[in-house]
Amino acid sequence: MSNIKLELTNVSKRFGGNQAVNEVSFVIDQPQLVGLIGPNGAGKTTLTNMMSGMTPTSSGTIYLNGKRIDGLAPYNVARSGLGRTFQVTRALRRMTVLENMMVPALAMHPRANPKHLEEKARDTLQFLTIGHLTNEFGRALSGGQQKLLELGRLLMLDPSVIILDEPFAGVHPSLQETIYEYIHRVREDGKAIILISHDMGAVFELSERLIVLNFGTLIADGDPKDVKNNPKVIEAYLGEDEKE
Amino acid sequence: MVNLFKQIESVIDSSLGRRNLGFLFMGFVVLFFIWFPTDPTQSNYAKTVFISGFFYAIMASSWALLAGIAGQFSFGHMAFMGIGAYAAGFIARDGITFAILGIEITPDSISTIVAILIGTFVAGFVGLIIGWLLLRLRSSYLALFTIAFSELFRIVMLTEYDYTGGSNGLSLRRLVDVADVDAARQIEYYLMFGLLVVSLLLMYIVSRSRIGLFLRAMREDEDAASALGVNIVLYKVLIFVFTSMIVGLAGAVFYSNVGSERIIPEQLEILQMSLVIAYAVIGGMESLLGAAAGAFISRYLLEAMRVVVINLPFGLKMPDGSDAFVWETGAWRFALFGLVMILTLRYMRNGLLFPIIQWFTGRDSAMLETVSIRETDHSAKPKLEEETQ
Repeated sequence: MSNIKLELTNVSKRFGGNQAVNEVSFVIDQPQLVGLIGPNGAGKTTLTNMMSGMTPTSSGTIYLNGKRIDGLAPYNVARSGLGRTFQVTRALRRMTVLENMMVPALAMHPRANPKHLEEKARDTLQFLTIGHLTNEFGRALSGGQQKLLELGRLLMLDPSVIILDEPFAGVHPSLQETIYEYIHRVREDGKAIILISHDMGAVFELSERLIVLNFGTLIADGDPKDVKNNPKVIEAYLGEDEKE
Repeated sequence: MVNLFKQIESVIDSSLGRRNLGFLFMGFVVLFFIWFPTDPTQSNYAKTVFISGFFYAIMASSWALLAGIAGQFSFGHMAFMGIGAYAAGFIARDGITFAILGIEITPDSISTIVAILIGTFVAGFVGLIIGWLLLRLRSSYLALFTIAFSELFRIVMLTEYDYTGGSNGLSLRRLVDVADVDAARQIEYYLMFGLLVVSLLLMYIVSRSRIGLFLRAMREDEDAASALGVNIVLYKVLIFVFTSMIVGLAGAVFYSNVGSERIIPEQLEILQMSLVIAYAVIGGMESLLGAAAGAFISRYLLEAMRVVVINLPFGLKMPDGSDAFVWETGAWRFALFGLVMILTLRYMRNGLLFPIIQWFTGRDSAMLETVSIRETDHSAKPKLEEETQ
């Protein structure tokens, strides 16, 4: 998986008079876990939406493994190798857990034997500790279980870059452990992960690299220890108390 | 009573199985419909009521595929049906000229079947355009757009009377040209029934396929489905084209003197579309079979309820001296129908027939099974269960 390359160059987004993201550039060229943090309104979600094709960019380019993905429809971005979860879980509520898993599997592998894909889906659900809910409707799952289902769907999509948007929000500590395990497994599989979270403990524990946004601008990018001590970050994100 | 039902249920489960019982029941229903027109006691009127029931079953089940399964709450279904019928009528009457290709087909050289097929493709082509225009519209906006489209088409058909026949409607060429009225009615009956069976099979295949899975994903959440690799644009357009062609074909066949002598703009009114929606809702708008059955039964009951006759018991007499209560229901049967729809939406949102179909498929027991595993499997995942609470 050393051929991973996600490259953002001067990516900007303007909503009317609001510059949500301003000339953001970075490259992820190896399997690593990158934390993307910033205070509320920093532009994390907008940047995520632009990377996944949900929101068009105002300017700048996004390349994934040599293919330009800005301007592509979300399904095309997903098929190009970038998968994402949503801040608010988006389980397909009136479809069973297994059907939820089969959607990305069949979208990615239309000619594959559905039996094999189903087997993989069941194994994945077992790993995520929700195997016993295979035939339940998505709406019957708790919030945490829906988060796990979203993560499972990403494994079926099998992208090279994964964006996890607030995977720990509102999740019971026991499920949080499962998500940690998931992240480690995905990381070991040679994928790049962009982790967006307000759980600073988790971000600093898991991330190998940290990107910080503030008011839509990238203010720091590097080793989490260095970023933590970056005066700009302390001032903008961690607050005056931390500075002292 | 509940215990008795449970006992019967367990006997069925341990012997024949619900699914097989369902297939058996379906087989009987199909055999009944095949036998019905051969019964000499049945009048041509009864057969006509059945033909109308088959037509509306196609309309309701295809709308169930479009709205209930794919989530595209369209009010344009009757308009697409009308496009198929009118186009077939125009082509059979006036022929068609492809100026670019230098081809001119005169009315004499075109058969009724070819005219119907062209009408079907015209409906599909308009479905393609409408599907494409609707790409960015969802829920109420989609509904409003299709109402506007439907009304636009109806008014054009009403206004351009020199060409369309206006409120008098357009007579299509007769599809079944048999002199013997009874024999013709029988053929027309089987034709419409065959069309319903084929349509249902095609729609069932689509809904059970990979495409059906994507359509349901699209219904649930377009953004999430798209992020999972589903080409929303393709499937949205595809389902509009597919259902438009089905109803276009049904309309062209029905109005070719099979179920009705002429297509009139009145048939394209919102009220008619509302009836199709009501049939699907009462039967179960997420079930093709439920919607079809709902439409057929509703059509039959609406027809049967034109005059309600209740013979009075114990020698009782009405004030006029008759021994039966006779009520010409008129519009009241539609009011009653509306009441059934309100109660269905309030208490059985999946329709009146869908739970029965669900029982036959055994789906509810599969759900209960997983719920029971979740409820009892405390030792395996104790923390997870806490989370579930």
